[in-house]
Parts: sequence; structure tokens; C-alpha cells
Amino acid sequence: MTEAVLDKSGLSPENPGRWLDGGYERLLAMSWRDCLDVQLRIIRCRFEELVPQVAALDKLAKREGITKIDSFEDALPLFFDHRVYKSYPLSLIETRDFPKLTGWLNRLTTHDLTTMDLSGLTMIDDWISRLDDFGMFIGHSTGTTGKLSFIPRSKTELHAFRNCHNEASRASSGVDPTKEFIETFFPSYRYGHQMALKMVSTFNIPAAGGEAHYHTLYQGRLSADFMSLAGRMQSAEDRGELQKLGLDPALLKAREEMIAQARRRDQDVAAFFDTLFEEFRGQRVKIGGTFGDLITTARNGIAKGIKPEFAAGSFIATGGGMKGLKDPPPDWENFVKDFFGIETVSMVYGMSEGCGFAPRCRNGQFHTMPHTVPFLFDRDMKLLPREGQQTGRYAFFDLQAETYWGGFISGDQVTIDWDEQCGCGWKGPTVGPVITRFAEMEGGDDKISCAGTAQAYNDFMDFVSQG
Amino acid sequence: MTDTYRIPIIARGRIIEPGEDAVEYKGRGGATFLTPDPHKHIHDLVLGNPVLLGDLQQTPIRDIIDFLAEAGKRLRFEDNPYLQESFALALRAGGLAEPILRGVYDDLPLMFDPVSMFAQIDGTIGADYLDGWVPSPAGPHCRVRAVGTRQLHITAGNVPVVAALTIVRGALTKSDVLIKSPSNDPLTANAIMRTMLELDASHPVCKHVAVAYWKGGDEYMDSQIVRTTRIDKITAWGGMSSVKHIQKFLTPGIDLTALNPKFSVSVIGKEALESDAAMDEAARGIATISGFYNQTACVNSRLVYVECKTDDASLDRLAELGRKVVAEYQNLPPILSTPADKPNKDLEAEMEAVALEDDFYTVEGDTVNGGVVISRFPDRVDFYDQLNNRVVNIVPVADLLDVVKWCDDTTQTVGVYPESLRDRLLDPFALAGVQRLVSLKGHNAMDIYKSIHTMPPGMPHDGIEPLRRNVRWVIDHRPIEETALSIAAE
Repeated sequence: MTEAVLDKSGLSPENPGRWLDGGYERLLAMSWRDCLDVQLRIIRCRFEELVPQVAALDKLAKREGITKIDSFEDALPLFFDHRVYKSYPLSLIETRDFPKLTGWLNRLTTHDLTTMDLSGLTMIDDWISRLDDFGMFIGHSTGTTGKLSFIPRSKTELHAFRNCHNEASRASSGVDPTKEFIETFFPSYRYGHQMALKMVSTFNIPAAGGEAHYHTLYQGRLSADFMSLAGRMQSAEDRGELQKLGLDPALLKAREEMIAQARRRDQDVAAFFDTLFEEFRGQRVKIGGTFGDLITTARNGIAKGIKPEFAAGSFIATGGGMKGLKDPPPDWENFVKDFFGIETVSMVYGMSEGCGFAPRCRNGQFHTMPHTVPFLFDRDMKLLPREGQQTGRYAFFDLQAETYWGGFISGDQVTIDWDEQCGCGWKGPTVGPVITRFAEMEGGDDKISCAGTAQAYNDFMDFVSQG
Repeated sequence: MTDTYRIPIIARGRIIEPGEDAVEYKGRGGATFLTPDPHKHIHDLVLGNPVLLGDLQQTPIRDIIDFLAEAGKRLRFEDNPYLQESFALALRAGGLAEPILRGVYDDLPLMFDPVSMFAQIDGTIGADYLDGWVPSPAGPHCRVRAVGTRQLHITAGNVPVVAALTIVRGALTKSDVLIKSPSNDPLTANAIMRTMLELDASHPVCKHVAVAYWKGGDEYMDSQIVRTTRIDKITAWGGMSSVKHIQKFLTPGIDLTALNPKFSVSVIGKEALESDAAMDEAARGIATISGFYNQTACVNSRLVYVECKTDDASLDRLAELGRKVVAEYQNLPPILSTPADKPNKDLEAEMEAVALEDDFYTVEGDTVNGGVVISRFPDRVDFYDQLNNRVVNIVPVADLLDVVKWCDDTTQTVGVYPESLRDRLLDPFALAGVQRLVSLKGHNAMDIYKSIHTMPPGMPHDGIEPLRRNVRWVIDHRPIEETALSIAAE
């Protein structure tokens, strides 16, 4: 460790997972340019440590001919595309081949999963729980395309992950979740291994002050088995062969329940919020949900003449987009604030593949902290200059990932301002509020071709994954 | 490049140039299209009164074929400035490399071959049924005629033959045809029609073809055009979105023929792994059926199922077959297949991701020169619907009959090697939804391509008979006792 590194940023290259221990204020007061040395140093170390242990990284490094990292540019070809986290054959899920699935995951982590006991497993959810008992903290994606990604996080990262969640939440809401416990309302499942859900239940139940103060729309868990097999189950049912899949009877029963639940969702959401508005009138609350949920609730509430009243210090914690809501009001945030009578809307920018979250400031910008090293790529996957304002495909290196590779290329298109002129008092590269999916498409959208059949989206899958 | 292409509306013998009311569309490949505002030309595009088809109905099919054949002679690329312009635009907007596209254009006159056109119409509808009333087998009191209809064609642009095919089929069925051009080939139909108009704009065939470009999903256009008073039949090529969009406007009285996107595969017997000579032949066949037209067509194989065990030695042989396929891509003549001009980033990313998984997949090649992803277990890759740029997934299966579980109505063409497999697979494949089996046998890519590509005239298309579907079959049922007299008087 050179003294120069510590002089500039004061950040220890030894343990970025502890940078937030003293609070976010220190990190958001630093210019990102002062952190470059320590960041590069950590990426270099991670590469050296992980290559012998993470087979997928080793293979990629060999393919790219990269043996050491002397600059950020050296590391970029090694960033994992989102497909790496779902490169297992889907048939492993269908046949519930847990040894092979574990073998696949084992190539992505430094933990040795080969000694894990796999006996008695029939469900993916139970496999993940077993992995968690073994020291992992696996989260899967929402699988909107029908195939789940598995993020190979582990308990090693849990301290950093919790700190990131709590500090970003404190930065954007002004409420310290480790000190002020607030009744929390989250219109979704209570449990599940889907990363966002897992994070919310792991960190928000303590923040609410315990199970009794954490209120969810559904009391069960969002099933990974169901999400990954919904499409397959539907086509098997169409062929009259659902029984032939040899699925756990519990899964078939869960499917029936999910169908019934999905059909009732609109009424259930309405009833959920009605309870919140009546029983917790005048109390201090924290309300979660997607933009779409909040807007729909506000619209329904206005139509019914409901006027919620909550105590000062209440706040809304939202994210996750419109979820299919096609006609949001132009200024939806004020619309929602006005209806709920809540002034604070807390938002953070992050994704399942990284531990870090960028809190939104009062100017509506998401400020990344030094443990996340952001990059932008253009359409040709060339690095965009880290200066001025740039729009491109978001990629990052998560310095807090110790047991898996932290380099990741997302599917988000964002605008980053590198000049730290936000005016809110916080520093760091800022991600603007407009976040869209990065799409390759250009030109006319009515190109018609006789070839290829895009896998039909499963309507049913859409139907049940709205939670 | 921001070139602007003028795309006139062809309106039943007239050319409407983009004038003051012209509208601009952003096309593919950076081009801009300038066209008369289609919203203002609805009546030039549709035929509100079906009785006006009388002129075409009274033209004998032989005359129609003579006219088409004469037009075909003028569709020589070298001499036809319209085709040259259309070629230049299709080259930029479409997905075909120059030598291939040139080959397609050079073949256009063949589609207007009079012998083949007559065989096509006579073998499907029957020329007599188009030219007059044909007595039923039970007797002359009951007669049948194939009557032309008013058709909307939403055409595909990945291979420009679709434009020629649509015009020929429309004329052969004595029908009124409105072609909505696709953004990836906005001018070919236009160019063919302008050639015909120069030949004889007053010919009934010319009086019953309209061609225009408007944006896919333009609700106003569709609501104006897709009405029972204006359209009898729709042929929609292309994706689910285009078909689903049109379905919103469908009512009883309008028939939809959905030529939806198709997916093709090959099946290879274990013989291909047993000797080097057989492996060479199979590899050439696979490379040809997958690689011609740079895998932009529905007939191109994207998955190759091989009868093969999954022990390491067998999989090594399979990998060798894969490497030979990639090598054979490089040997294909440029008129059939060329390296891609740029990589397919999404597919490349999929290939790179699975390439990290030695236990499950072996990857050879890339999305520029062509490649293979070899599954090391009996299942296709999960991104099989993105296979393109001459990349195929080779899948080992214990029994090729297992392949039926991956076949359905989207499975168009199945390449077979060796021929000895065919009889065993034919019926189960046909029942599973497969529409055509072809042979991969041969030592020369051009010969293999020709055998895949050339069918006798009038064969079914994607499991249906579009010509028979696009006419109306009308019955003239008279009292038996009056029949003799009446027919004699005609």
C-alpha cells in the first residue's frame, strides 16, 4: 500500500466492505477522481485473488489474454455480461439436476460448493436456502424472459450489502433504519430469494422493528421454482402433460394458488392500502411499492374519496418503474405525494448484481459512492470518456464483491454526469433520473422477416410476475 | 448517410409522386423515405367496388401470363434503373450482403417464366377455373369458378423475392392486390410495377396493383383499409406483432393468411460421425442450408440435431463436425453466403457466456465468419431463437425421433442427412408440424442449394396453398332440367 493512496482518499484498500461503517457522509464528500488509485488497486487485487478460484473468470481472462490489470481499461473486457449469471442450461432447472446446477454456480464463486449436501432437494427454492445455510446469500432475478439469473453473493458480502442498503436509504430518506423503526408497508411477497425481495425482507424487517411491524400484501414467498417453470408448466398443460414433468406436488399446488392470487391482485392491493389508510391513520409509516402500484393506489383512492393522513416523518420508498402502467400522470411523483400526504419519496439506484446503491439527492440525481466504480459504454461497447455528461450502457465494478467477480455490464441505459456539479452538496458521478433499457434496435420498427421465431412471451408469466 | 429516397405510390396504373403533401419516414440504414401521404390516398389504394375486377376476370390467364413474361424480360438488373435503385436501398436497409442480394435480383426474371407460371396456376387452382365456370363431376348443372379477390399483402423484406412473388400470385389469381412495403425492402415491389407500367399501364394486371409504404402499426391506415367493403383477403408475413396488430381489425368476411416467422432445423444421422467422408459431406450440407442468404431466410437451419451419444469420445467427434461446419462456411460461394459485415452483439454475448461453461457447451467460430455452439447434453441452447449470422446450435440426441418434441407449426424446413433417415422421420415430423423435408446430400454447395431451393411450380407454402386460399370459390347451381339449354345458349 502506498501512502499516496491513503493520503488522497483516506480509504483503506484492505476492506472496501467497511468503507460505509462510518456513514455515507464521508463517502459522498469525496471526489471520485481522488478514489481512482484505491479503486484500481482493489480491482487489481481482486483479479489476482479470484482468477485461480473463480473458474468462469479464469476462462474469460485466458480467452481475452489478460494476465494482469494495470488500468481500468484492462479490466473492462472481463466484466460479466448479465448472461453469465444465467448461462446454465434451462433443462437443469426442469430436471432439477442439483449436482450440475451447483457445479455451474461453483464456477462463479470462491466458495467450494462441491462438498455441500444436496440430498433430499426437490425444489429450487430449497436449493437456494440450502446454499444460504452453507454460507451463500444467493439472489435470483425476476426472470421476465423466463430464465432466472443467480447472483453468487455470499454471507461474506452481507455486512457491506446491509450497510449499502441502510446508508443509501438513510441518505435519500433522512431516516436511519438502524435507529428509527417505522411501520413498513410493502405491497408484494413477504419472502423470496428474488434479490430485491430478499434484500427488502432481510433488511426491512429489522428496520420496521420486527415481523409484527412489517406488512406485506402476500404472506408467502415468491417461488423461484414457479417463476422459472411457469412457461414450461403452461406449455406442458397445453399438451395435457403437466403431470409428466414430475414436479413436486407442492409446486403444482403453489401454481394453483398463484393463479388465484394473480387474478385477485387488484382487489388485494386495494384492500391492503385501505387497511393501511384506516388502521394506521395518524401514525408514522414507510410505504414501499413500484411507481405503478403507488399511482394506481392514488387513482383508486381519489376515486373513492379517500384521504390518507399519516404522521410527520412518514416516507415512501419506491423504485422498479411503472410495471406495465401505460398512462402515468406527467408529474407522477407529486401526484403520489399529494394523495398520500407524504412529502418524502426515497429512491436509490442499484441492481441485483451489485451491493452498492446510489441514493437520490434533492436534485433528483443518483450519486454513486466510491465502492461502486461506474463506467459507460457506447453501442459498440467502447468506453465513453469519464468526463462531462455521457449517455450509454451502464457497467460497474463492485469493490465489495469479495467471493465473486465484481465487474458487471448492465442492460440499463443511463446518463452520467462526471463533473460533480450537482449543487446538492454530495459528490460522486451522478446517474440522471431517466433510466431506460439499453436496446440495440435502430431505424424503422416495421422490418418484417419470415425467419426466426422470437420466443413467445408467456402471458401467464407476465401476469404473475407483476408483484 | 442521410439520403432521401422518393417512394411514389403505385395506384392501379398511375404513379403518384411525392408532392407538396409528401411525408417523410425514417428508414433503416440511415435512409429517409419520402412518400405521398398515404392517409390522403386511401381511395387510390383500395378498390371499393369489387365488380371493377371484371376487366381482369375477363382477361384469359394465358394473356396474363404473356404480359407477366414480357415484364419478366425487362427485369434484368443491368438494364433496369428502377431495380438498380431498389437494389441500392435494399442493400442498405435489408440484411443481405451485396453478392447475395445481387444473386436474388438476377434470379427475378426466373420468377416470371411463363411455363413455370402456368404450371403453378394450373397445378393449384386450375386455369379453367379462373377463365370460366367448370362443371362439377356430378354434372353441368352445378359449376364452380375461382374468382379473384381484393387482397392486402403485408410483405416481408428480408428476401426481395417476396415482392415479385406477391405480384405474380396476385395476377395469376386475377386479383386486386395492395402491397404494403416493408421498411427493409421498400422499393422492390415498386420497381417491378414501374417496369410493368412502362410496358403497358392500361393492362388489367397493372390496373389491379397498388403499392405503398406506410409505417407498420399505423392504426388509421389499417382502420381505413381493413374493412369488408374494401378487402377480402389479407396475407401477413412477418412477426407476431404485425399479425396481432392486423387481427384487431379482422371481422368475419376477411380471411387472414398469416405467414408467420418460421424456424428451420436439420437432422443428421450417426453415419455422419462414422467416417471422415460422411462427416465432410454432412458438414457441407449443414453449412449450405444454414449459411445461404447469410441465414436471413426461414428455410435456413438454426438447430442441427445429430444422432450422437454424450460420452466424451462421441462429443469430441461432434465437436469435429462443428469445426468442419465453420470451415465449410468459409468455402461457400459469395453468391450464396458471405461473412457478416458486423458482429451480432447480442448473440456474441450469448456465445461468450456459454463458452465459459465447458461442462455444457463447446463454442467454435463467431458471428462474423459463422460459428457453432455444440451442446454437450441433449438439449438446445436457451437462446436458440436468436441464432443468426450463420451460427447454429448442434445438439446430440439419442434418437432423432426425439426431435419431434421441439417441432411445431413454426418448424418450416428440415434438412436430412443421410437420406436413409427420411422414411422413418417423415410421418412423425409431418404430424408434429414440420412443413418440408429437404436433402443435404451432395458434394457441391451450389448443387445442394439448388436442390433445396428449387421446387416444382405450385407446391404448398408453409403447409398451406396460398393461391387456392386467395380466390373465392363460387358455385353456379342451376335447375337440372334447364341446364342443357342454358349452357348451349352461352
